[in-house]
Amino acid sequence: MESLFDQSSLFLQQLVNGITLGGVYALIAVGYTMVYGVIQLINFAHGEIYMLGAFLAYTLVAVVGMPFFPAFVLTLLICAVLGVVLDFVAYRPLRKAPRLAALITAIGMSIFLQNMAMLVWGSQIKSYPRDILPPFFSESAITFGDVSLSWLQLFILAITLLSMIILHLTIHKTRIGMAMRAISQDKTASALMGIGVNRVISFTFAIGSAMGGMAGVLVGLYYNAIFPTMGYVAGIKAFAAAVLGGIGSVPGAMLGGGVLGIAEVMGAGYISSEYRDGISYAVMIAVILFKPSGLIGKQNAEKV
Amino acid sequence: MGTLLKVKKLSKSFGGLQALKEITLKVAPEQIVGIIGPNGAGKTTFFNCLSCLYHPTGGEIKFDNIPLATPISTAAKRRVRIFAWIFLILGLIRLPLFWSFFLPQTFYKVELFLLGLFILSIRFLLVRGLMRHEIWAWGLMFIFLLSDVCFALLFLTHQNPPAYIVFTHVPLRYMAMPWGVAGGLFSLYFAGVLCTGRVRRLYGFRTSPDAVCRMGLARTFQNIRLFFNLSVLDNVKIGRHGRMHSGLGKTLLKTRFQRKEEASAEKEGLHFLRFVGLEDKAFDLADTLAYGEQRRLEIARALSSEPKLLLLDEPAAGMNARESEKLIQLVRKIREGGIAVLIIEHDMKVMMNLADYIYVFDYGRLIAEGTPDAVRENQKVIDAYLGGGQGVC
Amino acid sequence: MSLSPKNPRVLFLAILFLAVILPWIPLGPSTNYLLRVLTSAVLYMILALGLNIVPGFTGLLDLGYVGFYGIGAYTSGLLAIHYDLSLWVILPLAAANGALWGVLLGAPTLRLTGDYFAIVTFGFSELVVLLIRNELWLTRGPMGLPGIPPPAIFGYALTQGWQYFYLALFLLLVVLVVVVRLENSRLGRAWFAIREDETAAQCCGISLIRYKVMAFAASAAIGAMGGAFYAKWFRFIHPDMFKFWESILILCLIVFGGMGSIAGTMLGALILIPLTEVLRTALPQSMFNARYLIYGLLLVLMMRLRPEGLIPFQLSRSRKAEQAKARLLGGEE
Repeated sequence: MESLFDQSSLFLQQLVNGITLGGVYALIAVGYTMVYGVIQLINFAHGEIYMLGAFLAYTLVAVVGMPFFPAFVLTLLICAVLGVVLDFVAYRPLRKAPRLAALITAIGMSIFLQNMAMLVWGSQIKSYPRDILPPFFSESAITFGDVSLSWLQLFILAITLLSMIILHLTIHKTRIGMAMRAISQDKTASALMGIGVNRVISFTFAIGSAMGGMAGVLVGLYYNAIFPTMGYVAGIKAFAAAVLGGIGSVPGAMLGGGVLGIAEVMGAGYISSEYRDGISYAVMIAVILFKPSGLIGKQNAEKV
Repeated sequence: MGTLLKVKKLSKSFGGLQALKEITLKVAPEQIVGIIGPNGAGKTTFFNCLSCLYHPTGGEIKFDNIPLATPISTAAKRRVRIFAWIFLILGLIRLPLFWSFFLPQTFYKVELFLLGLFILSIRFLLVRGLMRHEIWAWGLMFIFLLSDVCFALLFLTHQNPPAYIVFTHVPLRYMAMPWGVAGGLFSLYFAGVLCTGRVRRLYGFRTSPDAVCRMGLARTFQNIRLFFNLSVLDNVKIGRHGRMHSGLGKTLLKTRFQRKEEASAEKEGLHFLRFVGLEDKAFDLADTLAYGEQRRLEIARALSSEPKLLLLDEPAAGMNARESEKLIQLVRKIREGGIAVLIIEHDMKVMMNLADYIYVFDYGRLIAEGTPDAVRENQKVIDAYLGGGQGVC
Repeated sequence: MSLSPKNPRVLFLAILFLAVILPWIPLGPSTNYLLRVLTSAVLYMILALGLNIVPGFTGLLDLGYVGFYGIGAYTSGLLAIHYDLSLWVILPLAAANGALWGVLLGAPTLRLTGDYFAIVTFGFSELVVLLIRNELWLTRGPMGLPGIPPPAIFGYALTQGWQYFYLALFLLLVVLVVVVRLENSRLGRAWFAIREDETAAQCCGISLIRYKVMAFAASAAIGAMGGAFYAKWFRFIHPDMFKFWESILILCLIVFGGMGSIAGTMLGALILIPLTEVLRTALPQSMFNARYLIYGLLLVLMMRLRPEGLIPFQLSRSRKAEQAKARLLGGEE
């Protein structure tokens, strides 16, 4: 029998890569799921916010010359504001409109933002400057046999985990988090109870967009390549992750992100790398068809 | 004269909430039966079960002696359990076959080991879904069984199949053949189950609401559900959908049959609109009608499917005294036309004037039934409506 | 109601007459270019009419239309290259293939609500395009499919721009007849009912499964036929021509013109496609993608300001209703 460890080390390395990617997907997925939870709309433009985060950080560091960490924080803030503006301009006027209209608006905004980015930054692939992070980041932090976890990956995992914890605490321990949960259950009743519905929705967009933008910066660092259409594909995959976990459920989005990241890396490694994106689509379709409430979510019955 | 609608011990629960508990009800042809009860008593849920929009969790509905939703008999439940076990056993047998087929030849061992376990766990979940009579489980099981058959074929036709099951001395071929045959037989069976309506009902699937309408049961809704962006006449023509027969071919070729059918549909539609008094608004958009007219349009739409039984869900809601009076006359005209009516209503005047027999619901249970006079005197009914003296403010 | 002509049929015939004599109007050296743009516009009218059936009539947002467009194009291209078939054989075959895939891809999506349906159709079309791109043994993948022979009508091969224009016009008429007949029939009414209120439609005896699948298949068949024409016209197809943007573009045409109304859909295509061409030539090369930006903006603005589109569905229906009323009153009284 061959040594089990030779193959398993490749397997484990892929697993580690998958979890890292999964963390990023989880960050984006959380934005989708929160917005869907409060206004039952799939925010197609969320993927573009992720892309804009990557590009904003790039602009701040490469063009303006800011050091990395301040640029990172500023990007988060700008993305949060962008999210709020998006809601205010595109979605709030259509709160009472039929779902189809809001969906079409979301698609329209997504296209608009993507092409706007293409106009502003050009459609070439850009990379973050080489010295954006201290050089030890690309070195390996933890090594286990042939499996290594670089500082960068550790950084991504740590930030993702930290964000998730903060988000969880916000939703469950603060007043505004409780307002978010109330609105996702019954908007009218929440309004009647004195909750400023529009304000809470804006807050939801802000947090979701900030996390999405963060994911953009992290991906830019990790893969060292950003391009205006990256939001499109990543957005779909993150949405698949949100649906997989159960749309409307934040822990579900985290779980779905992790599972999808692992599935994609494993699939690309072992089955075929051309169909890499196809795996996410297939997973998403399978989940929607067979168990739309996802892994964790609850099933909603419609009152006739 | 037989009973038109026979409901026996109907129950419906949504997860933990028991909306209906053992309702027994009968409607005879050309009878007007009323259902009253406080809000939230489950009356509309009951109608939805009759229309087969919901699947009852217990009890039986028979319309014109045809079962609409049968309780899943214990024999059927046992059969499903046997199938689920066989499916699980097939999965357990396939696992070592899968491993012994792929593992010795492939590079990556750990992953395939895990893949095998993963597929087995999906089969476990499937068995759970099967036990709960979830339709997705049947579809997925069918696919799994087909894959089992394909795997068996692959195995048997492969050039150099592994000789023994992993770690044992059991010859592989002896396992693969019967198992593939079993998978094949069951695949065919489940394909049949998924396709034929009668067999599906046996395993707990319900009749579809459109079939129920075609059988002769039409209804209106508590919140008006009209086709607002279409004209009044179009709404009624859609009601006649089940009685018309032009399909895709006839429509594309615009055959004479189709043209005649369209003309007659228009004539019949106008006839029903005349019946409810909306004829002069035939070509207006349904959206532009007044509230009372919209309710009458819904009734006309239900009538145009030529039902034997009409379900009216709070038709007099929001009407003033004069409109209610006209409604009472309308319902009486409907009964004279040979149609039985089952009516939910809060307005006591309408109910007492119309109904031949009344059932009283409260918290999903039947608390009283009888003629209008009997029900009016019933203490339990008075308690239910007035709160039973528990100090309501 | 602003300017509705006394008799829409006269207007339609006038436009048709204009279209037919168009190639013969001497417009100088740019005639060929103009013909190409118009042929493209007619093609998009066909595609838009096809897509209109699903979101317009039946109320389901189909984001995966480009998949059927691609299937039709590749079916026609591959058939033409490998076999020597007349155009009148290839077109129905492509349409039938489209319908088949419409049924296969539509059937699983039946129980899904609006958002999920949109996502799943999108996923399906992406998978189809991925398949087209990667299955080199079938489609030659990223190398494209060059050298598709021109359409042969009764043995005579089409070469001139105006010939393609007339062919497109002919196909448009066929599709128009089909769609108009569908709209005013039991089938069309069933679709409208599903769009307005699925539950009520069910309780009126309309089987959701059957009619949703039929809508999907019909739309797929028309889309595939459009794709088949495209392959024969362009004579070169490549997976990059069938991106998600095309679905959005066609959706934009419908939304702009009026979802559900046939006249609106055609008007939307007639206005927007030539506009695209104008933009493409007017804008500098670097802003090539600006037209997509405008489409995105257009979608957002339309939904905000005039969601019914240029010619709203109700308008086109009420005109027919007026005709019917006039017919009835004239007939009975």
